[in-house]
Amino acid sequence: MTNHCCGPGYASPAEAMTAPREKLLYTVAIYTGTGIQKPDYLCTIDVDPESSTYSQVISRLQMPGIGDELHHSGWNACSSCHGDASMERKYLIVPGVRSSNLHIVDCGTDPRNPTLFKVINGADIKARTNLSAPHTVHCLGSDIIVSMLGDAQGNAPGGYLQLSKEFEIVGRWENSMGGIKFGYDFWYQPRHNVMVSSEWAAPNTFMPGFDLEEVGHLKYGREIHFWDFEKKEPKQTFYLGEDGLIPLEVRFHHNPDSSHGFVGAALSANIIHWWKDAAGDWQWEKIIDVDNEPHPEWPIPIPGVISVILLSMDDRYLYFCNWLHGDIRQYDISDPHNAKLTGQVWMGGLLGRAPEVNGVKVTGGPQMIQLSLDGKRLYVTTSLFSTWDNQFYPEIRTNGGCMLMVNCDTENGGMEIDPRFVVDFGKEPNGPSRCHETRYPGGDCTSDIWV
Amino acid sequence: MTSFTITLANQGGAAFDVDHRKPLLQSLREQGVDLPYGCQYGGCISCAAKIISGKVNQQAQRALNNRQINNGYIILCVARPLSDCTLEVGVESHDKLYRNPFLDPLAAHELKADIATPLDEQK
Repeated sequence: MTNHCCGPGYASPAEAMTAPREKLLYTVAIYTGTGIQKPDYLCTIDVDPESSTYSQVISRLQMPGIGDELHHSGWNACSSCHGDASMERKYLIVPGVRSSNLHIVDCGTDPRNPTLFKVINGADIKARTNLSAPHTVHCLGSDIIVSMLGDAQGNAPGGYLQLSKEFEIVGRWENSMGGIKFGYDFWYQPRHNVMVSSEWAAPNTFMPGFDLEEVGHLKYGREIHFWDFEKKEPKQTFYLGEDGLIPLEVRFHHNPDSSHGFVGAALSANIIHWWKDAAGDWQWEKIIDVDNEPHPEWPIPIPGVISVILLSMDDRYLYFCNWLHGDIRQYDISDPHNAKLTGQVWMGGLLGRAPEVNGVKVTGGPQMIQLSLDGKRLYVTTSLFSTWDNQFYPEIRTNGGCMLMVNCDTENGGMEIDPRFVVDFGKEPNGPSRCHETRYPGGDCTSDIWV
Repeated sequence: MTSFTITLANQGGAAFDVDHRKPLLQSLREQGVDLPYGCQYGGCISCAAKIISGKVNQQAQRALNNRQINNGYIILCVARPLSDCTLEVGVESHDKLYRNPFLDPLAAHELKADIATPLDEQK
């Protein structure tokens, strides 16, 4: 396949799958909440098996201050700008959920040693937009939008921050939040003029930790929202009820013509599927239901807590993690109405199935995942969010997090933890840190959208 | 200016005079105390400290549930002193701050103030 354009990314998901293998990863690591008074940082990890530093952190970019809680990140440009030769996938936008600071990191000049290009101060964002708690970053052709989970005082529902491609604050992206109660993740599918957003909770609710009792008091989300993307306003809401408690990560099919999409309901531990029917109406259904697991000494059974979902670039496999149970699952979703379990591996978790992997004690459970463009390597980290880590996996304070790699069989289905790869964040130079979301320099399975 | 003395029990009893109008986090950091913090609007719990003696006004905090308050926690980024205080600060003071909700549920009166049922209203 030939690349006809010289903009960033790829002409299609199929072309993305033929890209060269990833050699570097960018993964955030945090000290927020650990007791170590150091800034959070962005790690560059060597994943070239031919390299002498394979499976090691090769550089660390510290943020300017402490307490950001780096979490998710996104590129300044993706395949949505593939036709624009003036754009370049060069800058990673790395928000701090707690500080509301947005760090613009130059990964293009020296990919092995990213540098800090600019900081958009959280105080400026609050003053100009009355928004705080940045989460998901997507580029929109040229501008960038960021879901912001709260107002300047940490109350829901927040809104969307728009940045120019020069990283100036444009203002609020949305024209209306309608009746939306909470924000979290979003994904757009422009050929259907739709954006779908999900719900966590107000920052003042989720940031201090998880009080399960607050779910029943409607302090956590249970709805997903379908937006008129061009009008920038919500158009339809689905109440998912008990099947959709805390719907977090939103993924459309990579195929830009498809209307099928999925969200993981973290607390219900269900996968919800939506699509547009023949009459042009959006429909939803539950396609996967992970049972709660009893614990011999605890009064309340443990839900899986599906904190992440991801689709392979060919839209054939859906992956997700049960952070509290400790398993990663692979489902064949060739028929999206009928998901078939094809692979499962265990690492950490509260059920004690795999306390140690590749010689490292896994503290936490499988959490953020990132899949290679060819669908064969899944990189996994173990920390969810500092305060939630501290509740469920308090030993992470001294053990730190870790990153593992899972080899995925794309022909027949199946997963195996790679015995050669482990990055132990318990051995970081400034003390045990916790690793969260990962990005690949050339784009990955959650970074790019085709217009 | 009314000033109060803040003593940090787990930092060798170091004592600092602070302005009663300023949040404790700001006053202590200005005097060189290295403390954890995050949102700086009272919602994220990163700066929680334990009060051993004394009184603060922390009406602006939104992070703590009633059990955490009963265990003596205060949110330094919004708490202003109403008297001399002795505190334990930093993650070392967080021994009772976090709990596993599946192992150790909250009672109705231990929820956050806006949704808690006071003990005398139960039954």
